Amino acid sequence: MIKIGKTCSLIAILFLHFVGTQSVLGQDISVEATLSETNIFSGESVRLDLSISGQSLNSINRPQIPSINGLRWLSGSTSQSTSYSYVNGRPSVTYTYGYSFVAENPGNYTFPSLPVDVDGKRYSTKEISFKVLDPNSINKGNAPRTPDIYARLEPNTTNPVVGEQVIASIVLYFKKEVEVTSYNPSPGWKAEGFWKEDLENNQQIKITSTLIGGVRYQRAILMQTAIFPTKSGSLELSPLEVVVQIRDRKRRRDIFSFGLGQERKEIQTLPVTINVRPLPPVDAVYSGAVGKFTISRTVTPTKALVGESIEITTSIYGEGNIPLIVKPEYDFPDALELYDPSESSKINRSKQQISGLKTFTDIVIARNEGEYIIPEQKFAYYNPDKQAYSTVNLPPLTINVKADPNRKISNSKELRFDVNPSTGLAYWVSTDNTSLTDRTWVWFLLILPAFALGVGFIAKNYNHRLNNDSAFSRSQKAKDIAWKGLVAAGAATTLKEGYHLLEKSIYQYVSDKLNLPKAGISAKELTEAVLEKTDNETAKELKRILDKCETISYAPNASQEGLEIDIERTQTLLKKIGKMV
Amino acid sequence: MRALILLSIFWMFSCYAGAQTNAQLKFDEANTLLKEGDYLGALNAYRDIEETGEISGSLFLNMGIVSVEIDSLGLAKYYFLKASDFEATISEANEALTYVDSQFSRKSAILPKLPWDRAISSLIKNVGAVHVFIWGFILMTLSVLIIIVNWFYPLALPKKSILFIFICSLSVLTIFLAFYVDYVDQRYKEGIIIAKEVPVTTQPSEEADILGIAYEGYAITIDTFASEKSEGWYYIRLGNGQFGWIQPKGSKIL
Repeated sequence: MIKIGKTCSLIAILFLHFVGTQSVLGQDISVEATLSETNIFSGESVRLDLSISGQSLNSINRPQIPSINGLRWLSGSTSQSTSYSYVNGRPSVTYTYGYSFVAENPGNYTFPSLPVDVDGKRYSTKEISFKVLDPNSINKGNAPRTPDIYARLEPNTTNPVVGEQVIASIVLYFKKEVEVTSYNPSPGWKAEGFWKEDLENNQQIKITSTLIGGVRYQRAILMQTAIFPTKSGSLELSPLEVVVQIRDRKRRRDIFSFGLGQERKEIQTLPVTINVRPLPPVDAVYSGAVGKFTISRTVTPTKALVGESIEITTSIYGEGNIPLIVKPEYDFPDALELYDPSESSKINRSKQQISGLKTFTDIVIARNEGEYIIPEQKFAYYNPDKQAYSTVNLPPLTINVKADPNRKISNSKELRFDVNPSTGLAYWVSTDNTSLTDRTWVWFLLILPAFALGVGFIAKNYNHRLNNDSAFSRSQKAKDIAWKGLVAAGAATTLKEGYHLLEKSIYQYVSDKLNLPKAGISAKELTEAVLEKTDNETAKELKRILDKCETISYAPNASQEGLEIDIERTQTLLKKIGKMV
Repeated sequence: MRALILLSIFWMFSCYAGAQTNAQLKFDEANTLLKEGDYLGALNAYRDIEETGEISGSLFLNMGIVSVEIDSLGLAKYYFLKASDFEATISEANEALTYVDSQFSRKSAILPKLPWDRAISSLIKNVGAVHVFIWGFILMTLSVLIIIVNWFYPLALPKKSILFIFICSLSVLTIFLAFYVDYVDQRYKEGIIIAKEVPVTTQPSEEADILGIAYEGYAITIDTFASEKSEGWYYIRLGNGQFGWIQPKGSKIL
């Protein structure tokens, strides 16, 4: 026999030591929250790191981020990292969850304590005080701290007239230590009250150096957009968000370009107020053009035939609010038929401004011969450089119209209305515009063929089985044959013959229904077969009738009435067997 | 039972005949007003008949004539177009339409419809979704009958399976076509601008940018499904292919 007592004791001691160590380790859990910056500029992004450290962490329930005054949580930007370390020779793990926020209104705020459940126990972080600073204080030079990077929306003028081209630049300011690896202005920037046209932006961004509040910054124009105010008054350009990837130059260089040490930042520009002046009144044809333009008007053809289409083309070429110019209205002679005008424009977005050509084409048709004159017209546009309207004289246009020699003489008849009212008996119909789907009979007719197909299919299968499955065929025909036999039994001339036919019908029916051999089966076998498929009572009744059929020759009180009663009982019995089988 | 059925048929026929007689009487009265030169009275009387649901080509033709007399050419075009849907008045209505169209000072450029749209429009106007459906039903019943007969008495036909598939597919496609025709008919309605001019806007709002002006007599197509989303506005397609919103008061749906 082998002694195992010492070994068991050793295992027990080791187990207790392990369990004890685990419970001790489980108590070394620390939960800490830190904000990447506590003096945050409005619109600037800030990161909250929630670190949970311990030597053994089995389950962590991350906290739900509550609504925080002064900060807006960017819910899609949560990150997670894990680090391992040895503290006093013991392994330790730290889970860090990062949450990004954007600072909102300036003021002093407190980041509340966050509850975290670790291994079923609740821990709480400490509250963090932070300050949201007014970004305008950066330019004034009185900000408590200078941000490493920020963006501004800079229009070339803040006092334009309605329709004047304003170039809005999105400018990034960043310190020399910061390296911007990529930028992406968020799409869908809305400039309410302005018509917006994107300009062609240079792929190579030019960086200049500038002093702001005594701090040297790098200045880069990321993109430029042309905006045209569509109404007068104080209009606000809403903030635009730019997502940038930055890297601190002071840190270790990422020689393999793995993106190490990069940080993603969401930066918001400040809202900008534009005071839009109304246009002064004008005494000429004005179609909303503001800028510097060359305007001309032509007619083609100048010699036309009656019924031929004539095009009057107005071309406006230059720099300014090309997309907003509307068609000038001319005084056409009444005898000309006017058709829908067309317009086309060719916009050039290069050279940091919108320029191009806009063409309006009026289509007219003369229905009679003669000389038609479209009178001289003064066309005005507002020139922002001169702060006044410039007027262009559009000379009169003359169109000579001659009769078409190939046209059939039918004008006079066509232009006379000689349709007489319809009187007398009219053929009346009822209006009915009910949808097909609202008509019940449509659905009924749709179901009908499917139903017919279903019935036909069942009948086809029944027929097929009747012809190919003898047991099924016998079972289906059993009733008809048995009933004929019972009728014959009722009509029999003698009692013996009657009971003989009755017995034969029972044998026929039961053997057909139960697929038993047609001949050579005894009453006992028949009763047992029925007993297997039905109940005791039915089998007993069957036995009684069969016994009577066999012993009728010896029965002293047999009568015709008795036979009829037995036929009725047999019918009931066979129906019962038929149902149960 | 038989008596009850006969009585029901008689009652239904009496109602139908009664409605027609009533409409004819009102029509005769309105014609008298037209003859006497009371155009507005005649137009109102014709409108009363139209509201009963009993319509005829003669009714719309006379309404168009009255509209010409009261110098409402957009309305006249609307009624003549309705009259042109009836065989009895098609020639007079077309003649009147030629005249009315020649009187509009502004005309819309017409972008021709695509062949498929033309085919569907023709089916809606000349056949109707109900008739297309009935054809589809007949074809489907026929194909089901052939299949059932073949089950019991196999038919000696060459390429039988292909023939069955062809008939079945044809019937299903015809029924689908009927529902598509019905959908297009219910969704897109033809209309006419009856006001002197109606601004067409980019959005269903009076403050929205104006795309253009639809003048009296312009034919429009109204998307009723899109229009349902903005009460008090129609989403339309102009003859030149432009889409926009108008207020319903200046137009009439055919």
